[in-house]
Amino acid sequence: MQSTEPTQSSGNAILTLLEPLAPEWVPGWLVGLTAIGVSVGIVTGMIALIAMFSVWLERKVSAHIQCRYGPMYPGGWHGWAVVLADGLKLIMKEDMVPKGADRVLFVLAPALVLASIFGAMAAFPFAPGFYFARMDLGIFMILAITSTTTIGVVMAGWASNSKWSLFGAMREAAQVVAYEIPLGISLMVPLMTLGTFSLLEASEAQAGGFGIFRWAIFQNPVCIPAFIIFWIAALAETKRAPFDLPEAESELVAGFMTEYSGIRWSFFFMEEYAAMFLMSVVAAVFFFGGFESPATWILRANGVEGGIVFGLVCAVTIVLKAFFGVFLMMWLRWTLPRVRIDQVMTMGYKYLTPLALLLVLLAGVWQTVAVAIEN
Amino acid sequence: MTIEETGQKGSIQLGTESRILPSGEREFMLDVATSDIELNMGPQHPATHGVMRLLIRTDGELVTGVQPHLGFLHRCAEKIGENVEWLQYLPYTDRYDYLAAMNNNLGYSLAVEKLMTGLEIPQRATHLRTICAELNRIASHLIAFGTYGLDIGAFTPFFYAFREREWIQALFEKICGARLTYSYIRIGGVFNDSPPGWLQEVERFCDVFEAKWQEYYDLLILNHIFVKRTANVGVIPPAMARDFALTGPMLRASGIDFDLRRDMPYMDYGEIYEAGAFQIPLGSGEKGTVGDCWDRIYVRMKEMIESLGIVRWCLGSIEDGPVIGDIPKVLRVPNGECYVGIENPRGELGHYLHSDGGKIAIRCRVRGPSFVNLAVLEDIMPGTLLGDSIAIVGSIDIVIGETDR
Amino acid sequence: MTATKEYIGNIWDALKSTVVGMRITGKYLLKKPITVQYPDERLPIPDRYRGIHYLEQEKCIDCLACARACPIDCIEMDAIRHGKELEWVSFTLDYQKCMFCELCVYPCPKDCIHMGTEFALVTTDRSELNFDLLSYKGMAREAKIRMREADAKKAAKEAAKKAAADEKTAEADAPSATDGPDEARADSDGEGAG
Repeated sequence: MQSTEPTQSSGNAILTLLEPLAPEWVPGWLVGLTAIGVSVGIVTGMIALIAMFSVWLERKVSAHIQCRYGPMYPGGWHGWAVVLADGLKLIMKEDMVPKGADRVLFVLAPALVLASIFGAMAAFPFAPGFYFARMDLGIFMILAITSTTTIGVVMAGWASNSKWSLFGAMREAAQVVAYEIPLGISLMVPLMTLGTFSLLEASEAQAGGFGIFRWAIFQNPVCIPAFIIFWIAALAETKRAPFDLPEAESELVAGFMTEYSGIRWSFFFMEEYAAMFLMSVVAAVFFFGGFESPATWILRANGVEGGIVFGLVCAVTIVLKAFFGVFLMMWLRWTLPRVRIDQVMTMGYKYLTPLALLLVLLAGVWQTVAVAIEN
Repeated sequence: MTIEETGQKGSIQLGTESRILPSGEREFMLDVATSDIELNMGPQHPATHGVMRLLIRTDGELVTGVQPHLGFLHRCAEKIGENVEWLQYLPYTDRYDYLAAMNNNLGYSLAVEKLMTGLEIPQRATHLRTICAELNRIASHLIAFGTYGLDIGAFTPFFYAFREREWIQALFEKICGARLTYSYIRIGGVFNDSPPGWLQEVERFCDVFEAKWQEYYDLLILNHIFVKRTANVGVIPPAMARDFALTGPMLRASGIDFDLRRDMPYMDYGEIYEAGAFQIPLGSGEKGTVGDCWDRIYVRMKEMIESLGIVRWCLGSIEDGPVIGDIPKVLRVPNGECYVGIENPRGELGHYLHSDGGKIAIRCRVRGPSFVNLAVLEDIMPGTLLGDSIAIVGSIDIVIGETDR
Repeated sequence: MTATKEYIGNIWDALKSTVVGMRITGKYLLKKPITVQYPDERLPIPDRYRGIHYLEQEKCIDCLACARACPIDCIEMDAIRHGKELEWVSFTLDYQKCMFCELCVYPCPKDCIHMGTEFALVTTDRSELNFDLLSYKGMAREAKIRMREADAKKAAKEAAKKAAADEKTAEADAPSATDGPDEARADSDGEGAG
């Protein structure tokens, strides 16, 4: 599908915004650098906000599932400031590196883990007119970069000089490798349906039908089991229960994170929540319509296809969908027990991968039949 | 061909040992040694149910050996029994299996009463004792269920179990004033009568509990992941159960039909069983093998329902009357020695008392069921994965207060 | 064939039990929590709760029955007898040792020691945990008067005995009997003010 936007040299919406604003005497590369700086700032702020809100949401969701209140005190209304208090406390903690630990790797691991999520966020589109990088292979890039978090986790487990951490790291490596395959293959189903790797174009391909009935799951019903497989693989990728073996609380004390404290530990958690958000965004864009909702359909019907209002509605839609996905992940975490490592492997290789391949076959058949019927 | 014949020279040293496999191929024994990791599932660990140290030797994730170290919670309970008077020892009995304190008090009181021949326990006292002991069995099994869920990774059933346990503890608080270490069942009867309205509240609890039990069952016990993690894990065959002198739900999960309440009845249990108020649940290998972890937790869940039957029977047949027998102010227990074993939620809790007619016991020996049940770990844990070992330890349902005393 | 059936059965069972579980937790997600926010809200404490003791000092006769009944010997009491009256010095219960077993309550012949509903024992120093259970030091006004009379009677008896002994041994001196009770009164006033 062709977009109506003129091609840009860099594909960054912020640069597009800044270029006309820059005065004449500012060289082009400086405008570019400023745009990059602003983008990075926005991404950082976004990840921080996502992590903060997710921590609060997790604590409240887990509390109410467990018939209790959760944070109520800090900040007044349902303890919304608990994350700020936590952050402040963590920053003030002693920065320890355990004796015998590999200092360089120990310090580098959380940074690497967070950096990969930063990189993946570059493909996240807020709205059709507001994005950080216009990529034709958006989803490909996301999958590739999120798999580099494993390096950081294994580094953390190894560098901690603790047997429990080593266990966590080994499990994480095995788990991620096993579930990358069904993650990618199950995504092929909506990719076939929508016909594009780019997140922006995929979202546009689901426009119409009152904002709901052209979603990928309705365009191709094979997308529904594909979504289930994708969701399970996403849970395993982000180390969320029932696949939270790498940080299994009751078995390994804290898995690969055992020796981390203070702000380094919070980096791992920021990465976890940001990865959850990212996976939810991918699911929202490829299965559940992305920007499309009844609101956008109404706006489109009235001819509003660009501009600030449309952009805001799109942004709100996708963020809400993503946070619903995050909420679903949390709900699953507090319901299901943990799967044992060899069962994780069995599920990944013997159940999810063959089923995903089968679904790709069925999706291909459906697409051929649907196209043939249309013609 | 041998290595010399091939003329290969290199840095990999192939061992000269080799053998011929049944298929005809030659298998070389490589000289690659990986050493086992020795892990300390130490005194401080979220999954060892107290302060117990498990020295685990693993080959990667596979456990090859285990050695439990005990004694971190030893408080010289038996020695104290030789130094305080008969009634003063009662609060110490609470504190061995602190999750089932009523049963501990009961065991001790029954043992002393056996020595004091001719002592009559009033009927109301017997019924109140039974109600309290069975409610405490439910509370104890609720903790077993909740913490087992925690070990396996399900964080929510723990909170639901504690919601019901709070109700039971509130009931106990109303009748004796304490929530964990009751010292309520004393020599000769019980300390004080139930306050007005207490029996009705127990009945209301019984009615509400069955629906909640079904929720726990659906949420955790029938959950596919839970079944996969506990079925066929830590199988204790019936012969091994008998050899290791296991008692309680561990024995019944292996299929052996033995329960002290029915086979060696004490208090009114014989009569209650004859009246059909409760059955003895057995493990049958429904989800895997007989005697696996799933069977053990299943037996515990079923026992909770059977306890409700016993409580209801007692509520139906309790009469008004005194709650304590004729005990002198200064208690001197007649000469003699006796052993009385009762069915604790964890197994057979035995008290061996030796009296010389004085105010203080000569010997007060306690057979803690968790201590005896724990011995089976060294035989069933090697060969399992690390995650399984947590499941096995949790299914034995130990309380370190009872293991160490 | 059974392998395939088992395969499909596993998938179906996994999905079904997940949905069942989520329904239960979802139900509780929407219900009101059952906890109270301590210390702003508190649950009611029943009457029989075994909390910190309180002593009805006027009834206590210093018989040490509760101290003997305690398995840990954490009760100590000290009082001076003046005839039938008791002047209390201290009645301490060491809460560092007390295990709240309530064995001290039952042997009391006057039913004067009870366990209350307080349980918060937060102190900054361990020595503060050795509570003095006396509601006030010394004694009530009426008891003070009776004590003085008892002391006076005792002193008069001793003076009379001494006078009789003096009469036997020596010639009659100026009798000092009248000085005795006044001295005792002056002494007791000095003590009573403390």
